[in-house]
Amino acid sequence: MQQLGPERPAMTFDEVSLERSKSFVQALQELKNLRPQLYSAADYCEKAYLHSEQKQMVLDHLKEYAVRALVNAVDHLGTVTYKLTEISEQQSSDISTVELKISCLSQQILTCQTFADKEGLRQQQLSSRTTPRHKKHYILPSPIHKRLENISNLPKDNRSSHVQSMPLPQSYGVLTPKTLSWHLASDNSPAPSKESWTSLLVEDSRDRNVTMNSLPPSEHGVPMSLSSHLQAAKGNGTSVKWKQDEMEAKKSLSEFKSFDKSVRGEISQPPPRSKNIISALFPRNKNFKPKRVPVS
Amino acid sequence: MARAGGMTNAVNVGIAVQADWENREFISNISLNVRRLFDFLLQFEATTKSKLAALNEKLDILERKLEVLEVQVSSATTNPSVFT
Repeated sequence: MQQLGPERPAMTFDEVSLERSKSFVQALQELKNLRPQLYSAADYCEKAYLHSEQKQMVLDHLKEYAVRALVNAVDHLGTVTYKLTEISEQQSSDISTVELKISCLSQQILTCQTFADKEGLRQQQLSSRTTPRHKKHYILPSPIHKRLENISNLPKDNRSSHVQSMPLPQSYGVLTPKTLSWHLASDNSPAPSKESWTSLLVEDSRDRNVTMNSLPPSEHGVPMSLSSHLQAAKGNGTSVKWKQDEMEAKKSLSEFKSFDKSVRGEISQPPPRSKNIISALFPRNKNFKPKRVPVS
Repeated sequence: MARAGGMTNAVNVGIAVQADWENREFISNISLNVRRLFDFLLQFEATTKSKLAALNEKLDILERKLEVLEVQVSSATTNPSVFT
């Protein structure tokens, strides 16, 4: 806003700039119009000096006119340069204002970007804390994990003997991976096997305090291991332990096709979900003749 | 009489020479001022050219900055979930 005088009303910034530009154009036009005027004045003075009798008077007038014309030209030129300088200064100030505004915008965008980056990092950290870090292949549920621990506490002799005596299936190798692969296979297996496995888990969760002392691993489930189980069970007489072992052995046997059909037919039947599993198992096993394997 | 005529001619010649010298001085002053005006115009042209070049450079820089800001704002508007 700028007030040019008491008579003129207040003008906006755009109106002031427009007025300045108009005055500059007008001054420039007047400067351009001086050239023909000076040329016409020069022609008149030349003719007057040649044709007039009072040459000295013409000469004096010519000198005065030349001085005035020069002063007028300088005045016009000064006006034009002043207005042009004023306009250029106004434009430079406008550009500096725009530059400040652009720098403000860039700073705002930079702060938004930094905020977004920090927010993304924070969310990433939160997601890393909540989401599991390891593959599902290496993650086991707690009761299975405890069973593995119990199996690992077995004496090594029993394990090695069963490893050497029994032909291992293709999917088995070391003790722990066998369990994992077995579990994965159990996840993908049909419903009855899963139900039997859940029943095992339920029983395992109930009997968590029971520990296995001299039991071979379940993944060596073949008729030979079952016979060893039965012999050991008869020797020790711990009903709860053999309940778990027999369930595991039955489970392992039911999933492999390489075993003997007769044994599979006897053992592949899923055990009932009732608590009297031993009573259901022992009548069946009377018909089965286990092979005796020397255990060192 | 002849001597008086001769002296008058000498005086007239002297006056004419003096007038001529005055005219020449006047002309030299006028030409000097015109040259000074010409020098001022040349200096003003150089200064105005440098100022306009600086303004042009500033405008180019501002234009590039605006383009960058426009791209950033467009990317932000296309992905508003980043800021939510």
